[in-house]
Amino acid sequence: MTLTEEQRFGAGLAALGASPGMLRKFLDGYRAPEAWEAIARGRHRADPERRYRDKAVPRILDTVESACARSGVSVVVFGHVHYPRALADDRQAPAVLFSTGDAAVLEGRPRVAVVGTRSATPYGLGVATELGRDLARAGVVVVSGLAVGIDAAAHAGALGVDDGAPTVGVLGTPHDGVTTRSQLALRDALGRRGAVLSEIPPGFHSARWWFAVRNRVMAALAHVVVVVECHHRGGSLHTVAAAVARGVTVTAVPGSVRSPASVGTNRLLVEGAVPVRDVDDVLTAVELCLVTRPDITPPRRPPTPPRSKGPGRREPPLSASQRRVHRALDHDPATLEAVVRRSGLSLGEVSVALEALADAGVAVGVHGRWARPSD
Amino acid sequence: MLACIPSATLHGVDGRSVSVEVHVSAGLPGFTVVGLPDAAVRESRDRVRAALLSSGLGWPSRRVTVNLAPSGARKTGAGLDLPIAMGLLVAGDVLPARCVERTGFVGELGLDGSLRPVPGIASLVAAIDADHIVVPAAVSAEAALVAGERVRAASTVAEVVAALQGRSPWAETAPLRVSPPERKEPDLLDVRGQLVARRALEVAAAGGHHLLFVGPPGSGKTMLATRLPGILPDLVRDESLEVLRIHSAAGASSLGAALARRPPFRAPHHGATEVAIVGGGTSWLRPGEISLAHAGVLFLDELGEFPAPVLDALRQPLEEHVIRVRRARGAIDFPARFLLVGAMNPCPCGEGGLPGACRCSDVMRRRYLRRLSAPLLDRFDLAIALGRPDVEDLLDGPPGDSSAVVAARVRRARALAQGRGVRCNSELGFDTIDGPSTLSADAAALLERRLRSGSLSARGLHRVRRVAQTIADLDGVSGVDERHVAEALQLRAARSTLMTGAGA
Repeated sequence: MTLTEEQRFGAGLAALGASPGMLRKFLDGYRAPEAWEAIARGRHRADPERRYRDKAVPRILDTVESACARSGVSVVVFGHVHYPRALADDRQAPAVLFSTGDAAVLEGRPRVAVVGTRSATPYGLGVATELGRDLARAGVVVVSGLAVGIDAAAHAGALGVDDGAPTVGVLGTPHDGVTTRSQLALRDALGRRGAVLSEIPPGFHSARWWFAVRNRVMAALAHVVVVVECHHRGGSLHTVAAAVARGVTVTAVPGSVRSPASVGTNRLLVEGAVPVRDVDDVLTAVELCLVTRPDITPPRRPPTPPRSKGPGRREPPLSASQRRVHRALDHDPATLEAVVRRSGLSLGEVSVALEALADAGVAVGVHGRWARPSD
Repeated sequence: MLACIPSATLHGVDGRSVSVEVHVSAGLPGFTVVGLPDAAVRESRDRVRAALLSSGLGWPSRRVTVNLAPSGARKTGAGLDLPIAMGLLVAGDVLPARCVERTGFVGELGLDGSLRPVPGIASLVAAIDADHIVVPAAVSAEAALVAGERVRAASTVAEVVAALQGRSPWAETAPLRVSPPERKEPDLLDVRGQLVARRALEVAAAGGHHLLFVGPPGSGKTMLATRLPGILPDLVRDESLEVLRIHSAAGASSLGAALARRPPFRAPHHGATEVAIVGGGTSWLRPGEISLAHAGVLFLDELGEFPAPVLDALRQPLEEHVIRVRRARGAIDFPARFLLVGAMNPCPCGEGGLPGACRCSDVMRRRYLRRLSAPLLDRFDLAIALGRPDVEDLLDGPPGDSSAVVAARVRRARALAQGRGVRCNSELGFDTIDGPSTLSADAAALLERRLRSGSLSARGLHRVRRVAQTIADLDGVSGVDERHVAEALQLRAARSTLMTGAGA
């Protein structure tokens, strides 16, 4: 894949190491080749101190171009007809985008950013996976950051749906800056079933601040942001701030008040974020947002609301000892010890009852601890 | 001018008979030791010379050659000092040859002529074929356990010579002590609550099933594990002797000679090296912690912190009850039949991914748990998740059965197992455990459901059946029914924490 002049010089500009804002200024009133030329001659009006003049050597253009070819990355410059319209209106849209997959999947579909902490609890991972899955089923593009934890779970949930909506990852690193095996697998899967975006040219270094900066891209792309789990001062709050600045609806999944991984989300709820219990709540927020956007296909509601109605579920017939053991369980996994004590039965009786309850699907064993299933 | 003295050196925990041949001839004064001696043996020249001179026995200023036969095997340790000295005295005509006829010698010499104890004396005397064996007085009791009346004790080389010439009687052998009574094993009475963990200990002791505790810091893993030896049955005499031989060969402890009646308990720290745990060493191959735990309990706290090579090295002894140490200088089998108790946190912070408490990321949890290989985890028949005990229990909980009561149940269950021809149920072969006769219909149905759902593997099936048999034995019933199988399944449920690594 050879690059056009504009792509070639656009990629070269991105490789100069300027901030996203600076990069936009480089292209403000210039076409990419002109901007490069002006910087290289020290005559660009956005670079009066000629800080980038020495960096703009022709060798960089070749390096970037071959790195793009090697990683199969395509380049699109702000203002080009192929630049994602979803981003084009944003004041802080990236000047140059590097992408794999098909960035056109972003158009015409509702988009929800599912974000959260990398050190997620099993609860958060479960919720993120379910949300990703149900959103993909509803025809919603799941946007996330490809990080481990909540991001990966949301992507994986969406990818798990056979003919679901595509899912889009926004990297805080170059495309070839992904190193762990699980992230590589996810990146490649997203390339096949959606798109992966980055602002940093392949082969070049990223810095930590890029992760915070790329969060604005996720916020700009999303119609609704869902925060699944977030620690006190977690990185997801950057996305939330960027979303608030753009008037994007922020929603959050409530968590245990004792869980440090839910401190951030619970605080968001207190501050007025929309609570999310399941995909229904997200879809409602999306529909509200799309009222003014006839160009976007509204999400498909699942035929029956999946939400459980809480109490009143049909209980299977249980023996007396099974009932006692079942009453001793709740939704927090308890050790066998605790179940034995709460039920007041012997270990043998409890064991038999638990095996039967597990077979009936009204108890689940997790690593030697027992709980009621979470529906 | 030639003398031939029977003696022995240590090879692992076994003795190897060595014939010390000393030749004294005319020629340039000199002293050569041949026959693959190690540094300690080569240095014996200086010790023997000083010891003989300070005992007034003289040193031949002639050419001395010492051969240690068989010359192909390596000789280690200072135990050959005394036989070399005796050989010199005989070959140098200080002592008539008939005095040392059919007499073996073992002992290290001090420069003042005193006899010092050597490690592994019980194994050494067992390897010497002689009518009398002279040993240092300090370890004579230990030697007498094996060689009985044949043992002669002495505390200096001068005493040995005097007694051999019949000028004075042999020293008394020190009296044998059986299991120092002052050592009190921790009692289960101290444990409050923890019904399930106590039960797991009881099942582990009765069936010889390896046990794994998974729980947060402060849940009592160590406290429980240290109480396991207290409910194991006494060692039988053969086991005691073997334990004594191993500990003596390790040079560890019982150079004062005590025959242990209670099973040993070893708890090596996770910083210990592979050699310290499995055995080996540079100068001479020594038994490691797993052999010192032979016939007793090996407790590995913070199992996940042990280096992976150490954990992998455990697999063979767990299966074969023997550890084969292979080194460039030789290969040795050390006995290592121990009951393994592992304890670990479910994740690096210890809270096990529980919402609200755990501070570990998924990646950290996985990395932590990946250290344990599946083959090692497979060896644990019992794995239980522990929680922190209730405050009420700690302050005012009902004490459970004492160790003595539990030990009695364990003894009864073991007697039933011995009726099947094994020491305990964990040693039951496939042919014995596979027989359908003892399994009730609903127990078989439960196992079948678990097999079909994939939560139980073929190997797991046998392990569950063995544990269920132990539980039935503890209940004092002959057949295994659903209760026993269900309990066996529950008592291994925490394995999945470690097999999958991930939460949810």
